[in-house]
Amino acid sequence: MHSRFRFLFVILIMGLLLMAGTAQAKDATHELRDASVISKAIERGTLRVGFSTFVPWAMNDKTGKFIGFEVDVMTKLAEDLGVKIEFVPTSWSGIIPALLSDKFDVIIGGMSVTTERNLKVNFTIPYDTTGMALVASKSMAKGFDSLADFNKEDVIIVARIGSTPATAAKAFFPKATLRLFDKETQCMQELLSGRVHAFVASAPLPAHSAVEHADKLFLPVEGTFTKEPVAFAVRKGDPDTLNVLNNWIRQKEAQGWLAERKHYWFETLDWASQLK
Amino acid sequence: MNNHPRARTSHTLDVLLLFLLAMAAGLFFWRLQTRFDYDWNWTAVPQFLFRLDPEHGWTANVLVHGLLTTLRLSIWTTVLALGIGVAAGLAASSRSLFRRLIARTYVEAVRNLPPLVLVFIFYFFIYSVLAPLIGLDDAIRAMPAWLGNILAVVCDEPNRLPGFISGVITLSIYEGAYIAEIVRGGVESVDKGQWEAAASLGLPRSDQLRLVVLPQALKVIIPPLTGQFISTIKDSAIVSVISIPELTFQGLELMSATYLTFEVWITITLMYLVLTMGCAMLARKLERSLRWRF
Repeated sequence: MHSRFRFLFVILIMGLLLMAGTAQAKDATHELRDASVISKAIERGTLRVGFSTFVPWAMNDKTGKFIGFEVDVMTKLAEDLGVKIEFVPTSWSGIIPALLSDKFDVIIGGMSVTTERNLKVNFTIPYDTTGMALVASKSMAKGFDSLADFNKEDVIIVARIGSTPATAAKAFFPKATLRLFDKETQCMQELLSGRVHAFVASAPLPAHSAVEHADKLFLPVEGTFTKEPVAFAVRKGDPDTLNVLNNWIRQKEAQGWLAERKHYWFETLDWASQLK
Repeated sequence: MNNHPRARTSHTLDVLLLFLLAMAAGLFFWRLQTRFDYDWNWTAVPQFLFRLDPEHGWTANVLVHGLLTTLRLSIWTTVLALGIGVAAGLAASSRSLFRRLIARTYVEAVRNLPPLVLVFIFYFFIYSVLAPLIGLDDAIRAMPAWLGNILAVVCDEPNRLPGFISGVITLSIYEGAYIAEIVRGGVESVDKGQWEAAASLGLPRSDQLRLVVLPQALKVIIPPLTGQFISTIKDSAIVSVISIPELTFQGLELMSATYLTFEVWITITLMYLVLTMGCAMLARKLERSLRWRF
């Protein structure tokens, strides 16, 4: 009798503990869900997206409106989520600090996935792939026709500060001098002025600029020399948002929507007349 | 300005100097042309100032919007910096050691930091910690549409207000330190005898300051103060790093999209020049009218 009573008592205590435990777990999931960026965006009615001006990913057209591949992606994402879109143009060097300090919800800015960045932010699955390409000055880099030609001590290479092209330039041309600027325009200006040998940037900018300034610039090597996955970046510890964004990307990929938009912005120049 | 009794009347040297300057400018543009052989495309620029909208007729475009934001930023900064600066300047010249210490700490800390560092620290750390604490961002989102419209005219679009506010506060803290020194210098330039005379009339300390010392100090304070306001316009370019859409930021964005580097930089330079020189002329008028009164 005595032992049976003790047995019941233990069962009772265990049951109580289990109930408390599940209640707590339930609270934690609710909390996680309510704190997720997606829930907050839906509650607020707007999705704030951070990006940086980057032809043809995102740019101002001549009426001051934002256009570009990323802009299409952001607009479609907001439309599918049923919220308004809020564009937050941000300078590239401060874009991750701005995300971490909650200036916007997600970076959709042609950001390549790197491990260093991944330690600061979480990435979705890639929605795009980009690669590094190199465009060189005809006067400075005369006769250069392989990547090895640029890996010399007296060669100067420009790239955008904090970008994966800058990292790639360091890795591929360790002997060359690397000069960094905040904007791609400034890099391009250095190249056009004949002060540097080459400019490393994400495709298709090098190819486009070699066509535009055919008298001064050329492509020493065809195509890209790296392949990099590009993904949305969100703050860490937010599985709900990652899940929603990942599945959105999977859908758009399967529907061919991403490929179609990418073709329009990267392989045609139909949009060029909207700029100037 | 040239009312000095013995103003030089010979212009030979001036003409020579002007000639040399014109030569230098010519040489510069010739070098620019040959060295860069740059494809000038000035025809694309005017549309970024004003454009013809099919629905609304002529409307301001990105560069004019940027100039207006610079102007609003400078005006708000000036108002706030004046408050901070006068308070700190008076504290720095007060008799209380505690107030003097506080004011000096503020002035020295700010003057010895690069403004760029100040902008980043404030925007990324201080604002991000303070704003949620007082619910500023939520208040901005929740405000009624009419208030948003008013704020859009006098400050910035509601969704860009957090950036605008932190820009104004950072610039005010920065400019305030300089204004504090101007105010302190002005107050200390007034002869000690004036304080003593006012005290001997039985005026309390606050009235000595308000009725006797400050009116005399103003004469010393006003000219450097107007110079400081013009500096504020120039310094406002620095908040482009935290993506406030003022003139420099808009220009940088425009260059990223169009690669019209030189055209846009030159246009921006001229826009800043027109703005600051206009303010300098106004300031000179103000100084002259004040000279009559004192």
